[in-house]
Amino acid sequence: MTCQEARLLLMAYQDDELSPADTLHVEEHLETCEACRAAHAEAQTLSQLLRDPELYAQPSDELASRIQFAIRQQQKTAATPLLIWSAVAAVFIAAISIAVFLNRPVPPDLIASEVIDSHVRSLQPGHLIDVPSSDRHTVKPWFQGKLDFSPPVPDLSAQGWTLVGGRLDYIDRHPAAALVYQRGKHECNVYLWPNAGGNSRALSQSADRGYQVIHGSNASLNYWIVSDLNLAELRDFAKAWE
Amino acid sequence: MNHREKVHRFEASISPHLGAAYNLALWMTRSPADAEDLVQDAFLRAFAAFDTFRGEEAKPWLLTIVRNTTLTWLKRSAGSPMAFDELPGHEIPREPSPGPEAQLLASCDRDQVRNALAQLPADFREALVLREFEGLSYREIATLSDVPLGTVMSRLSRGREWLKRLLTRPTEAPAR
Repeated sequence: MTCQEARLLLMAYQDDELSPADTLHVEEHLETCEACRAAHAEAQTLSQLLRDPELYAQPSDELASRIQFAIRQQQKTAATPLLIWSAVAAVFIAAISIAVFLNRPVPPDLIASEVIDSHVRSLQPGHLIDVPSSDRHTVKPWFQGKLDFSPPVPDLSAQGWTLVGGRLDYIDRHPAAALVYQRGKHECNVYLWPNAGGNSRALSQSADRGYQVIHGSNASLNYWIVSDLNLAELRDFAKAWE
Repeated sequence: MNHREKVHRFEASISPHLGAAYNLALWMTRSPADAEDLVQDAFLRAFAAFDTFRGEEAKPWLLTIVRNTTLTWLKRSAGSPMAFDELPGHEIPREPSPGPEAQLLASCDRDQVRNALAQLPADFREALVLREFEGLSYREIATLSDVPLGTVMSRLSRGREWLKRLLTRPTEAPAR
């Protein structure tokens, strides 16, 4: 290795950045060359001067605590938006839930409960009928102009049911026609409102508070029938009514 | 990683390098007050960017942020700290000798070294601080300063040469 080659590598040698092979070559050269050895010694002297710990600037304790405080404040300010976003998200979810709740179809058992409530109320004095008539040709026209549909009012006297009259009601957020039939001492309310879905559904039944409820749908109407009759009798009525 | 955990990990891995951060900022700005503000700023940036820290060497990672913060500030401040050619004739290689100059160098005291280092062009000073004070490798300095490896070697070589000249100028460093 020539001096020129050695000088090119000397700094990297001093900084321990040479490959082992080059390190060996430089060391071999330094063994034999006084001028390069002097250059290396000078570089090392300079390096030692710079590595004086007193030259290494020390931060104040105050800076350390200032930074620690700032970082932890950062945590708080970062946490605050998170809390706000959580709150926003919670409100949003709640709003969606309410919207979903409002829009979802009311479960049949809730309608059944509503129908029974209405039926019980109708049995209180003076509530049963708006149009007292056993004549279906009186009852049916009475609904005209009061509802946006025309409820069927069948004559069931052949099955032992006497038409008592009709009434306006409100079920499942719909204006509904209520037809009242009677057999013996038993009243039977039939609630009718348009079937928005248009899907017909087979009869199904439920019972609550001693009342039987049967409901079904045809292509144009939902109908709910409620009475304190036993189920078999009510089913007969429903079949007759259908 | 929740915020408490983030603070905990940050203080465990990054905060121990506060000294290196301050030392670099001070040698870059030569102003203790500015260095403190810049280091605090850099620490907040480092904390904000801590999610991108992947457990690599913490010191070069932090020093990169300190350097960038400081450079941005220096560029906004009046004057160019990056001027290279304040000393004439620095390209002329000097023949090292075991004679009076080497002894002169050896007899320099700490204040002379401090003054000489402060007079170096910023790029040379930065490279020397990272190499001599922090012991970073050429590769780490190149990544940190965003320059090629050859540039790092050139800055270190020229910076050391300048320093020697400053320290061995007869007028400023009289032999004892």
